[in-house]
Amino acid sequence: MASVTHAIRALDELLRGDRTRSADLRVGLANIPLRIFIPVAIVLGCTYGLFMGWYAIAAPALPNVPGRTAADPWLQLIASTVKLPALFVFTLIVTFPSLYVFNALVGARLRFIPTLRLLIAAVVINLAVGASLGPILGFFTVSTSSYAFMIVLNAALLGIAGMVGLWFLLQTLRRLTQVAVLDSADEAAAEAGAPPIEGEARAEKVTTANTIFSIWVIIYALVGAQMGWLLRPFIGHPNLPFEWIRGTREGNFFSSVAFHLRQLLGM
Amino acid sequence: MTALAAISSGLARADALIRELGRPRLAGLIERDWRPLLLLIVVFGPIYGAFMGSFDLTPERSLLMLYGGIKVPILILLTTVICLPGFFALNTVLGLRDDFGRAMRAILAGQAALAVTLASLAPLTRFAYTSGVDHRWALIFNAAMFTLATGIGQLVMMRRYRALIAQRPAHRLMLWTWVILYAFVGIQTGWMLRPFVGSPGLPVAFFRPEPFSNAYDALFRIFLRL
Repeated sequence: MASVTHAIRALDELLRGDRTRSADLRVGLANIPLRIFIPVAIVLGCTYGLFMGWYAIAAPALPNVPGRTAADPWLQLIASTVKLPALFVFTLIVTFPSLYVFNALVGARLRFIPTLRLLIAAVVINLAVGASLGPILGFFTVSTSSYAFMIVLNAALLGIAGMVGLWFLLQTLRRLTQVAVLDSADEAAAEAGAPPIEGEARAEKVTTANTIFSIWVIIYALVGAQMGWLLRPFIGHPNLPFEWIRGTREGNFFSSVAFHLRQLLGM
Repeated sequence: MTALAAISSGLARADALIRELGRPRLAGLIERDWRPLLLLIVVFGPIYGAFMGSFDLTPERSLLMLYGGIKVPILILLTTVICLPGFFALNTVLGLRDDFGRAMRAILAGQAALAVTLASLAPLTRFAYTSGVDHRWALIFNAAMFTLATGIGQLVMMRRYRALIAQRPAHRLMLWTWVILYAFVGIQTGWMLRPFVGSPGLPVAFFRPEPFSNAYDALFRIFLRL
């Protein structure tokens, strides 16, 4: 019980930005212990997944769909709850190496574990915002039969949460770079006995790093969206038998959302 | 204290509160205690709801007045409860948590203004019904009253938000986030709580007899048929 309260307090401090101040950035984000924040991320992910999978139970299904059993909606609920955190874990595995390398080469030269801490912190913020939008999703779930609407609503809510998480990541990376690049530039200048670099040269170093991080954020978002597509179904079509993974390779996330949006708008 | 004195002191307090809604003061009643705002919503919301349900005053249909009275505060407050966790988390991430109490008071002040404005428009609605509008025009008239009252509620909320935005510009983004979230969820809440006026052909009921449906889905269908 004490550890739950501790975890909630840690989450609250992270959300408020109290664990990513400049002093924390200088000591490799030691204030973001993985053994607390990884379980927190999983619990938050499961919370959103639960709201997401609820549609399988609430949706009116056609009777006698071949291959569909009475247990299917419940299996879908479990699958969604498990798969949502898995989506973030897999996305992290695919994209973490490039973040580490980009950061080591042009950014703040964070070590391996601190870089991981930073990315986990961004995932926690993403999932916390997602879980906090869960009641809205649940509210529409109990009152909506349209599968297309639920797809578009989920894409929108997770899109909002993802943007907030990435905004946090980009902000923190920028501040890290500011702190670290300039610290090390000053150090190098001091070693060479030269005066510290000033003005434009400083700004230029920081701008290059920022551009590279913006590119990385785009990669992360694209991988995340496509990972969601590979791990589908998350919502579960009410008139299809349950599957853990749909398996077929064709299509992609964006064309599917566009298709359901058109279907919803009747175009 | 006699009942009359109690009523008159209650009205005096409501009067002070309503006049303060539109004029934010740092040391005002609302900044000291937000609960009276909730009371305004719960007391004034049902007035309009009851008038809205008074379309057909025959004894068997007058139950709609009671239902309408219950539904209006539910519409306002349920929507708030559903949007609150997301709004809270977003405010926290943007570093605006210290102002959250003031932000919520601004929002509740806007909703109290909405409820009070609606109540003040109730006689107009009754007047329209008495003038013999048909059901379709009754719906349009009510929509117009809600739009007007929502506009005034928005003005009150924005006026209170202005001080917050002056201190931290990020509040502007949160204000619009709230407006969009609230409208998006509120439209669906309103749709689920139908009927408010009561179609003449249908039996009197708290909810429509059919299962809940999605307002946006239904609206798209209506547009497609046009």
